[in-house]
Amino acid sequence: MNWILPEGASLGFEGLAAPLQIIRGLGGGTQGQVYEVDLQGERLALKWYLPACIARDGGLERRLEASIRATAPNEDFLWPIALLRASPASRPLIRLRQESFGYLMPLRPPAYVGACEHAAGRLAIGLRQVLRACFGLADAFHALHLAGLCYKDVSLGNLFLEPGSGGILICDNDNVAVDGADHGAVLGTPGFMAPEVLLGQARPGADSDLFSLAVLLFRLLTRHDPLKGQMELAIRCLDEPARRRLCGEDPVFIFDPLDDRNRPDPIEHAAALITWPIYPRPLQALFEQTFCRGMKQPSRRALTGQWKQELARTLDRRALCPACGQENFQASGAPALCWSCGAPLPEPITLLLARGAVLAAPDNELHPHHFDALAGEDLRRPLARVVAHPQDHRRLGLRNLSSAAWSAETHDGRVQPVQPGESCSLAALARIQSPSGPIAVQRPTRPSPAA
Amino acid sequence: MPFPDVKLANRPLHFLYLCDCSGSMAASGKMQALNQAIRQSLPGMAAVARDNPEARVLVRAVRFADHAAWHIETPTPVDQLEWRDLQAGGITAMGEALKLVAAALQTPPMEVRALPPVLVLISDGQPTDDFAAGLEALLRVPWAQKAVRLAIALGHDADLEVLQRFIGSEPATAGRSPRRPLQASNATSLAQYIQWASTAVVGAASMPASRVSETPLEPAAGNIPLPDLPPTVLDPTDDVGPLVW
Repeated sequence: MNWILPEGASLGFEGLAAPLQIIRGLGGGTQGQVYEVDLQGERLALKWYLPACIARDGGLERRLEASIRATAPNEDFLWPIALLRASPASRPLIRLRQESFGYLMPLRPPAYVGACEHAAGRLAIGLRQVLRACFGLADAFHALHLAGLCYKDVSLGNLFLEPGSGGILICDNDNVAVDGADHGAVLGTPGFMAPEVLLGQARPGADSDLFSLAVLLFRLLTRHDPLKGQMELAIRCLDEPARRRLCGEDPVFIFDPLDDRNRPDPIEHAAALITWPIYPRPLQALFEQTFCRGMKQPSRRALTGQWKQELARTLDRRALCPACGQENFQASGAPALCWSCGAPLPEPITLLLARGAVLAAPDNELHPHHFDALAGEDLRRPLARVVAHPQDHRRLGLRNLSSAAWSAETHDGRVQPVQPGESCSLAALARIQSPSGPIAVQRPTRPSPAA
Repeated sequence: MPFPDVKLANRPLHFLYLCDCSGSMAASGKMQALNQAIRQSLPGMAAVARDNPEARVLVRAVRFADHAAWHIETPTPVDQLEWRDLQAGGITAMGEALKLVAAALQTPPMEVRALPPVLVLISDGQPTDDFAAGLEALLRVPWAQKAVRLAIALGHDADLEVLQRFIGSEPATAGRSPRRPLQASNATSLAQYIQWASTAVVGAASMPASRVSETPLEPAAGNIPLPDLPPTVLDPTDDVGPLVW
């Protein structure tokens, strides 16, 4: 790589009191290059644009300045911090003939890896983490859209995952603009672009973000593309005109209930056929809403709030197969078989809450939105977590992650406090009184009436 | 529990170098510069291949001097590729090289379904055999018609007209364009062009890149929108390439 900014050098920038040390180049593309930099002991990232990119996108500087003023919608964005132009003294050290600029942003921690690692099947990650990442993505776009902004260029390339927790980071936020304000040059990435944008009938905005978001969620959940079925197999050379037909002129969802022209091939598209049945019907329905009726009617696409709600509910339904240990997410009530090994799934203990129900499986969590009708779905501050007993993994308990004591009631009416950080065995309990609200423990064999 | 062991379906992307190894390539270290440029470009190319799970990037190379022959005959995944040095000596059988590639792009051996192949022709001189017949044979093959064809002219003696015919019709607009032969006048610019072809172009042909409104959505020139050429990055004074041709 030919680095535009000299690695190791200290450069001065207008408006920055201290010089910035260029630690090393991290990567580059057709837009510009990204560097790790040090500002008075703090490690940050600096994106430096190529003059051709600035020339092509007249609104770039104005958009960046507006984003910097607006600040990040939530902490999952690697949001621009400051716009930088070289000081006159540092100008000759920048290896470009034409004037250019860049912006500072937080540095991505090394534990976060590109989402394409997951798409390629190279990442050790569990279904719970993938669903949490999907929730994080829907939540980030929810915050962005509520702020009146739109992202415009969602793709696997600007999403990073932390496989241990399912945490996400969204980068390349330089196309973000006020929805409907037609400032940007970017149209999106084919394969993620809404059909109306690909065909040039509309500019990217919040509605087309909803399409791209659904594509990205589908790709994370299934490791497959929602439009690649039989119709893709009929294409010999997958070039631009072919992609335009497949994703723009005649796009058909591979699981469209009414149009079976583009069903997955059992061998070529096995990923879709294996993973799709894992997810509960209400989550599948949001994909159908977006990719069937919403394909040509942007206003009918599933909204970020709907995704958040259904993804959070899917996580609440998580149960482990007693035979193979695999994670299952089936709707409660119906007798179900494990998607992985086919063993029947027993009805598990259910925690009944004011706003929903959570199955008792290790790592499932209770959150404020399970108690408070006004709290939006949020997975950042769990109040309780289901844990397995350290000696006997079949015995499940509930750990108090809140800052206040609970009182746990046994079947015979005894009451015992559960301090923050302590766990109580679910086998013995009928209900728990917590400051957030009551938690009723429903056992499968003899369901007790909810408290 | 781990996510189900499934992978995104992918298609092969065939990348072919056609390297001029005529005697003139021995002058001024051009042959060594080309070997170095390709070898140095491989890690970046492997990184692009990793980032594009929809593509299986497979590399081959043809060398041509008195005759054309495979330098790397088996389509090789880029992360397994070891570049053996090409040696210069002989005349410029470019037409024969095109016929060799034409045969390789027939189905079979080509897969029924693939991404557009990328062909990179690098030459410093004039063809000494029947170039027209070779080009005709190549362009009769559907996969060659669909291929992204790039040409790099080494030094000032390269036959730009011949290279332009390999690429296809010249763009109407003036200025530097990937649809014209790229003129490498020193080792640094050669390395930049090789890097560009093996990373940015491979990326564009395998997974569509982010699109800006200036990019024609109705593809007019070619079936893959080509990325911007590398910017003219000024050489820092302590880092001038050892060669000036």
